[in-house]
Amino acid sequence: MPTARCDSTLLEHALSEQLSQQDEEQLAAHLSQCDACQRALEAMAADGAHWGTISNALKAEASGEHQPPHGAGSTLVPRLRSVGDEDDEFAGGHALDPTDFIVDFLPPSENADSLGRLGSIEIREFIGQGAHGIVLKGFQDELHRLVAVKVMAPHLASIVAARQRFAREARATAAIVHPNVMPILHVDSSARLPFLVMPYVDCESLQERLDREGPLPIGDVLRIAVQVARGLAAAHAQGLVHRDVKPANILLERGVERVMLTDFGLARAVDDATLTRSGLIAGTPHYMSPEQARGESVDVRSDLFSLGSVLYAMTAGRPPFRAETTYGILRRVTDEPARPLGELNPLTPKWFDALVGKLLEKSAADRFRSAEEVAQALEDSLAHLQQPEVCPLPQLVSDLLPERRAMRSRGAGLLAGIVLGGLLALVAVMTRQRQDPVDPAEGSRAAMATQSSERGTWDDGTDRQLEELADEADALLEATAIDVPD
Amino acid sequence: MSPLETRKSLIVRLKNEQNDADWRDFVCAYEGFLNRLVRRQGVPERHVPDVTQQILLAIARSIEGWSDDGGRASFRRWLGAVSRNVVIRFMSRERRQAGGVGGSELMAVLQSVADRPDEQQLQRYQHELIVWAAEQVRHEFLDTSWRAFWRTAVEGQPVDLVGRELGVSPGSIYMSRSRIMARIRGKVAELDAP
Repeated sequence: MPTARCDSTLLEHALSEQLSQQDEEQLAAHLSQCDACQRALEAMAADGAHWGTISNALKAEASGEHQPPHGAGSTLVPRLRSVGDEDDEFAGGHALDPTDFIVDFLPPSENADSLGRLGSIEIREFIGQGAHGIVLKGFQDELHRLVAVKVMAPHLASIVAARQRFAREARATAAIVHPNVMPILHVDSSARLPFLVMPYVDCESLQERLDREGPLPIGDVLRIAVQVARGLAAAHAQGLVHRDVKPANILLERGVERVMLTDFGLARAVDDATLTRSGLIAGTPHYMSPEQARGESVDVRSDLFSLGSVLYAMTAGRPPFRAETTYGILRRVTDEPARPLGELNPLTPKWFDALVGKLLEKSAADRFRSAEEVAQALEDSLAHLQQPEVCPLPQLVSDLLPERRAMRSRGAGLLAGIVLGGLLALVAVMTRQRQDPVDPAEGSRAAMATQSSERGTWDDGTDRQLEELADEADALLEATAIDVPD
Repeated sequence: MSPLETRKSLIVRLKNEQNDADWRDFVCAYEGFLNRLVRRQGVPERHVPDVTQQILLAIARSIEGWSDDGGRASFRRWLGAVSRNVVIRFMSRERRQAGGVGGSELMAVLQSVADRPDEQQLQRYQHELIVWAAEQVRHEFLDTSWRAFWRTAVEGQPVDLVGRELGVSPGSIYMSRSRIMARIRGKVAELDAP
């Protein structure tokens, strides 16, 4: 690998994460050896005084020097240092010990096998933790049912904007009734820690499944994606954009093949102009759309991009855009094409790669038009995958194939060639065997058949394409045949 | 969207032509940090949001009175003073209401806040601001990068050693820790201008 030379522009770009993967690797190799560039880069990041002030403050914090009188904030240091046992590769930022939480915030219950009580719900166990709160399993006495309770994290509950968002999640989701959307049974946004109650479903998130199993078989990918798209279509029909479609928000019910979309935390009515920039939109930006990354207004097609990223992650085992930092990811989301799936997973059919590519178009106008349309295309593709002979690939998908696209531009030339070839054959046949006429279309159809069977490894779309072309050629030949003098 | 973009204009805008959108921006930017500042001055957890609200109100009322005198950390001093006044007011009210139990403890806290000379208060403010900023940007970085930054830049361990232990090249550590440093500095600047 050639070692990059000393170049201050390169360093500036590295700092603001404008470098390509390759340039970045080269520069890292160069920096390992070049003292001058190390110093130059650090001086660009902050002057010497800032480096000193900031690292001293963090060191003092770690040593506990600045502890307040009551010891509040003592959890900060381990949080900052982060030993690295987070589920996500990016730290959650506000890890909360479930035991601490239960002791500090759950009023005790009279029931001995209960961890505590929240309103009318006996809390039985701790299920999990997300960026914005924790999820508990509970039992509702009066209604005699198991429920999942999502409680807002204490550090957020003290922020007014976050409470409002929480209430909005509940309202938004309650408006959608659909088998592929997790319903909200009850919400309390005025409690000290706001919480919402959902049915308890024995499930795991798609993220958990991917972490455990890696890339999924294409059939499973399509089955899951169809349902996510249906759930999205239901939300979109209510005028809601989900805004946070990602594997962690897609739940897979155990034992059944039902998929549910959850966590409409960022959802808001498309026409609601409030609440834009705020540091609260934390978490992983891997599945954001380019328009979201740029902080522009979004519509339903933003969710389609995120759905594309989820499809990608299910097939490749990792999201399409990765980088060291949030900013780096966002830049790749806005500026760089995703690597074709075929390069990462050779079993990926071409049409699937094309379908995901369509969802991942940088410009919303170039994607599909609606979640409904995507759901239908996915469903038909799944049928095709299961019974290729009976169910053709849906046209919406076959139209996306590069062969087909190239064919369209080459079409005219190809057609002309076929016509010319046909004509020559016709002339030859007619001049040589006048008294024994042969249907010229027959000959050309036979030629096409050979050609298409030779390309049997191609997708159906291409085969059908060739057939269509043959038909067109036949029609043209018939038309031209009239002009051929006897 | 430069991550180093500062909020310089926000405070100026707030002062000159106060409107709802500017105010909302201001609250979004400062609320989290003020919560922390208040908490760390010893205000009991359950009162933290209240006291922060009072500080925000006090800022809304008195932003006209603040002017950039060109002195060092002008806005910081002013905001620090406003929040300290609110905390002191809160503490003295608590003390009157609390009566016996806990009264002396709160009194001690109150005294320590009030006694603190301006310079020390300013240092405290700066410390909280930096730690808060670090906390805010922490999640933007891969865990390995953050650990490399912490061990080399904060704890002063040798880059080569840390690189070997974390399985990353020294060059990438230089790159990561510079990015992190620039990001923390940028985050501080957002709340620390002009």
